[in-house]
Amino acid sequence: MKLYCLSGHPTLPCNVLKFKSTTIMLDCGLDTSSALYFLPLPLVHSPRLSKLPGWVSKDGTVNLEKELKECAGRVFVDTQPEFCLPERELLDLSTVDVILISNYHCMMALPYITEHTGFSGTVYATEPTFQIGRLLMEELVTFMERVPKAQSATCWKNKEIQRMLPGPLKDAVDVWSWKRCYNMQEVNSALSKVQLVGYSQKVELFGAVQVTPLSSGYSLGSSNWIIQSHYEKVSYVSGSSLLTTHPQPMDQSSLKNSDVLILTGLTQIPTANPDGMLGEFCSNLAMTIRAGGNVLVPCYSSGVIYDLLECLYQFMDSANLGTTPFYFISPVANSSLEFSQIFAEWLCQNKQSKVYLPEPPFPHAELIQTNKLKHYPSIHGEFSSEFRQPCVVFTGHPSLRFGDVVHFMELWGKSSLNTIIFTEPDFSYLDALAPYQPLAMKCVYCPIDTRLNFHQVSKFLKEVQPLHVVCPEQYTQPPPSQSHRADLMLELQPPPMAYRRCSVLGLPFRRRYERIHLLPELAKSLVPSEIKPGVSVATVSAVLQSKDNKHVLQPVPKPVPVPPSKKRKRLMEEVPDLLSPKPLLSGAVPLEAFLASLHKA
Amino acid sequence: MESNCSSLLSAVCEVLPNPKLLLPDDTSLEKLLDWFKDLINHNDGQYIKHYQPCLLEFLHTMTKSEAVDSTVFSFTLKLTGLLASKEDSFNWLQERGVLLHMFDPDSWHEIELWKNASVRGGWLQGLWNMLQYQQAVGFFCKTGLIKLLLSLQNDESFFLSSLTNQILVHVLNLVTLPVLSSSIESDAQTRPPVSTDCRSVTAEVMSHVTRSLSSEEQAAVASGLRLLAVTVEQCRDPVKGQLWEHALEPLEVLVNLHDDSLNLSVMAVLQAAAKSPFFTNPEYKVETLIDAMLYSKNTNESLQCAALILQVDSCPDHLKKKATDVVVRPLLCVTASSTIVQDGCDSLLANQLSQKASCVPLLTQSLSSIADFVFKNSLDDVPIRSITSSVIQLLKMCIGHQPSTFLRTAASHVIGCCKIQKYSLDVLQSLADSKESVDFLQEALTVLLLYLQCPDTHATVFKKTYQAVLKWLGVSSSSPTVLETISHDLYPLLKKLVCDGRWEVRDSTLEFIMQLTAAFKGNPEYNEAFRNSGMISVLLISLSDGESYVQASAVSALGEALTDTPLCASFQEEAVTHLLSILSKDAESFPRRAVMKVFTSWLKSPLSFTGLDNHLSSVLSLGSSDFDWEVKVQTLEIVDMLMDNSLSCSRSSQGRESMKQPLHRLMGLGLFDLLLKCLFDCDRPVSQKACALLIKLRSVLRETDSSEHSDDLTLDISSCSWGEEVLQRFHRKQQPEEWSSVKNGAPDSLKKIHLCEILELLELEDMQCILSLSSDHVINSPRSVMEDILSAAQQSELNVVDCY
Repeated sequence: MKLYCLSGHPTLPCNVLKFKSTTIMLDCGLDTSSALYFLPLPLVHSPRLSKLPGWVSKDGTVNLEKELKECAGRVFVDTQPEFCLPERELLDLSTVDVILISNYHCMMALPYITEHTGFSGTVYATEPTFQIGRLLMEELVTFMERVPKAQSATCWKNKEIQRMLPGPLKDAVDVWSWKRCYNMQEVNSALSKVQLVGYSQKVELFGAVQVTPLSSGYSLGSSNWIIQSHYEKVSYVSGSSLLTTHPQPMDQSSLKNSDVLILTGLTQIPTANPDGMLGEFCSNLAMTIRAGGNVLVPCYSSGVIYDLLECLYQFMDSANLGTTPFYFISPVANSSLEFSQIFAEWLCQNKQSKVYLPEPPFPHAELIQTNKLKHYPSIHGEFSSEFRQPCVVFTGHPSLRFGDVVHFMELWGKSSLNTIIFTEPDFSYLDALAPYQPLAMKCVYCPIDTRLNFHQVSKFLKEVQPLHVVCPEQYTQPPPSQSHRADLMLELQPPPMAYRRCSVLGLPFRRRYERIHLLPELAKSLVPSEIKPGVSVATVSAVLQSKDNKHVLQPVPKPVPVPPSKKRKRLMEEVPDLLSPKPLLSGAVPLEAFLASLHKA
Repeated sequence: MESNCSSLLSAVCEVLPNPKLLLPDDTSLEKLLDWFKDLINHNDGQYIKHYQPCLLEFLHTMTKSEAVDSTVFSFTLKLTGLLASKEDSFNWLQERGVLLHMFDPDSWHEIELWKNASVRGGWLQGLWNMLQYQQAVGFFCKTGLIKLLLSLQNDESFFLSSLTNQILVHVLNLVTLPVLSSSIESDAQTRPPVSTDCRSVTAEVMSHVTRSLSSEEQAAVASGLRLLAVTVEQCRDPVKGQLWEHALEPLEVLVNLHDDSLNLSVMAVLQAAAKSPFFTNPEYKVETLIDAMLYSKNTNESLQCAALILQVDSCPDHLKKKATDVVVRPLLCVTASSTIVQDGCDSLLANQLSQKASCVPLLTQSLSSIADFVFKNSLDDVPIRSITSSVIQLLKMCIGHQPSTFLRTAASHVIGCCKIQKYSLDVLQSLADSKESVDFLQEALTVLLLYLQCPDTHATVFKKTYQAVLKWLGVSSSSPTVLETISHDLYPLLKKLVCDGRWEVRDSTLEFIMQLTAAFKGNPEYNEAFRNSGMISVLLISLSDGESYVQASAVSALGEALTDTPLCASFQEEAVTHLLSILSKDAESFPRRAVMKVFTSWLKSPLSFTGLDNHLSSVLSLGSSDFDWEVKVQTLEIVDMLMDNSLSCSRSSQGRESMKQPLHRLMGLGLFDLLLKCLFDCDRPVSQKACALLIKLRSVLRETDSSEHSDDLTLDISSCSWGEEVLQRFHRKQQPEEWSSVKNGAPDSLKKIHLCEILELLELEDMQCILSLSSDHVINSPRSVMEDILSAAQQSELNVVDCY
């Protein structure tokens, strides 16, 4: 059994598990942090961004004026942002049989895997994961295609040239695996391969293994997976949460007694407690609004935003924010808000019960009804006429490189009354802000990551007791910025097996048994004899039939009795009679006596 | 009344022996006992004489009645003791065998009663009541009651066993009492000497203590230790010393046993011994025992011991030093860096600190002891510097800001631990008073600000942090760096925290702002910084907070801020309008109380609040018609101040002539009407205050010329809520033909009465007297209690009838 690790990103994993005769891909996350090396894509013509000087090396030998631009003391690539794909050379992706998706953030690389690689398998995901994943992909494609940039930049990726570049660009890794965004057609084709599953539904793969999604508590429809055969069990834990937010709570008990547990998707900000951050978010927001400023919240169009809106809904009255408008701007804003209300069966009990009242499970419905929350597909059109300040704007993309957020950065960045509050933990906020410097706007970093923290995960592992744990290497040491925090790492006995991008791990257990069925007729013919109390033995002679990874012992076919016939013999009757097989001797050979006999002979 | 009471009492004494009596409330008998106790203690027992025959008869009856209720029986026991505390009744009771019957359970008709804890309690109380003089002690010694008493020392009820301990101490003190009073001396001649019996009692107690301490049963050992602790603390000298000598041997065994469950009891004994003169006597080995406890294997135990030693004032310095070491060690050890691995941090301590279960309790114990002795400033050579820097470091570790290279695992236990944070903040707060604090000022403020910034700080930790900040800002309040910290670091944080989602945090923040302003009162630089910081508008916004506690704190903070800071009139006006709207609209009373307090303090302040002066009459009318009595009392406080200001001022400075004008002004504000309304208020504190103010007003009016009492001071009583009451008094007092001041002649149309006349009409002194009694004085009077008992007796008779 082997694990091929195609991504080194601990929360955007992409691993391939070879188990029995199957090849299973676990998630295919897309690392979009590479976008931070690129210039923002302004939605409205920006004089500042259009007049940036090109980059020429100091001695003038390297001239990449067309590809690289200097902005706020840093160098950025001036082309459509590219993303860091999972490794595609480590194994032949056309051999992958199935892809299991654990949540909508971990499927963004799907089109890169299923298209143009010869992939012919099936993708399994829950319905909310599929639907919201589609929204996020659509949004990403819209963001890119709305601001087309023709030229592509590849010269800078040349190893010799990259070495001479300044700043963070020089240290960017795997730049050749960076690719431009896919298009809508590829998205549709990729999603057509998805087959929907429900929690605890058992899916047979070629009769060899059974895969089951379990609720992971992180987001709508998010799941952990169990991959098991009759005698082996592998659990795949990715992006789980024990906090009470909107999704169904995590199913822990089904993960018990695994041989191997693959652990990914722990919180990216282990030092920030989500509750504290939510409080911090609210108080900063209120403070800005009270002082007459605007608040910009760069965020994904699904996920934590539902909780943010719910929290604000409760907070608004006590903080006197009753009249401040909230705007949610995204090409998929409407669908995202609507979808969240219809997936009742995937929500936590508390929200599910509201549906029977009937009430919308999320309070943002009420915010929309009372006109406190308004949503628009883009800053163009209706929004521009209804826009009123001071206000709170939720919009994407959290990298600040594309999407409507770029416009608000240009618009509000110059005033110190305004505040930008970062809530998504995926990007370094300082890097995200780099092309907008100098910035007068206040910046607040309140990363809200509800995924398991180290304290919770060590409790969880004590509970489910896997024999072996496999995890990204980042989890086996404290974060580099806080090397003294011994509490921010996994300490297990036996120590976890760590992987990094391009690792191939041999998982530490051997398959010893295979289940074989006896047909009833055969079973009837057995004569067990008890050799010690409780243990009986019988010899069996049978034919082993293996089909679809299922093994069946059948009685030996009896010779077909020759029908009495007066007609002349036909060819078929000449088949030699099958003799009824003699019972085989069994038991240990007394070796020494046997050798002695041989010598005599 | 007295005769009534005695007939009632005899009726009660008749019904009490009835076992079927259902008492209305189990405290009624206690109230009766309290009454008797009062009667006995006052006026040398003259009052009780009146009731004595009846009570003695009752007791006598009780000895004969066969079936009794346990509650009543317990009452009887207590009463017996109470009456026996007077010698004449004692003799009466002894002659009739009542005493012997009551205090000897073997002679009871129902021996089962002894199993009832309340009866045993009654027996103990009765005994204690009785043992007031030598004769009673003699009775106690001779009848061998000591055995029974000692058996109760280990009673299953903790209350009884501790009561027994108290009585034993009392007995020991009595039997060893050097004969002092003359009355006893004279008695002594008429009685056989009691000394042999007394000696046997003392011996009995001592052997009981020794027996208990060497018992196999832990409960017995613990109760023995408790008795020893109490006696060492409260007994007089020869007997105390003897007792200690008896107990020393088994005590040494116990100390060396280091049994966790007995630890605290052993420590209590040692602490009592350490406070006594024994301590200096090497024969008594107190110091050796303490030393043994201090260096026990269990770190927690030695910490507790050290904490106790530090509480003893007379402790020798070398022992105190050792104890300080023990107390401070866990703190220094957990914050030690690898370069200074201290010899103090032995492997045992390091091991306990690296386990979560023992790390947190150890540290909290250490910290709380440190806070204690730093607060008391009990030692001169405490390493304050190293403690301060360690506490600051520990606080940083708690929020993950500081690496501890020595004990990494311990560091991971303290991260995010609220308990340790709170205790450390306590220590830090008390360290602000030390001489060395100035050197640590910047460092301490930095770590405290980190706590205010940290979004994970728990609300209770916030409160402690604020207290510590306040203390540390006070270390050097006039220094420019402190003011700089306040305006550059603290104000922006406070502005954010008043927007926090947790109301507790908003509340403590506003409270802190108020305390900060109060602490910096009269500091012009601070006032300047405060005005320019925009904090006032923050406070104004917080006035509309959704949570009433927070709103109240915002009101107080704003009030405090404006009391000392001269502001432009428009700001004042805005604040007053805001507060008035709270006063009229708020539904939860905390904000309204705060508003009234603020108005009071503004009126007291030397600054002029023109904004408030214009709205005074609406403040008074809103305040006096409030539903909350505290608001009303506060309104009367304002009235008091207004009266003081205008009346005393004009009386002293410009002579009598000018009283007219201030009285008119007060009349115009509706003040007299308000006072009379409050006088008849349903809440006692309100009427009490109003009554006091009216008496004050009356004395002012009496002093002034009657010619000044113009017609303008007449009040229209028909439209007032209190009018009816006054009118009734008027009718009661005056003959119809003498209605001189009635304007319209006819009694029906009596509408206007002069203020002076009203004040004379009301019997204010009487009213004040009644109002000063507590509101339950009627139902708690012996009369009422006895009536309740009697009616319950009738009820139970009725019930019996109903059954058929």
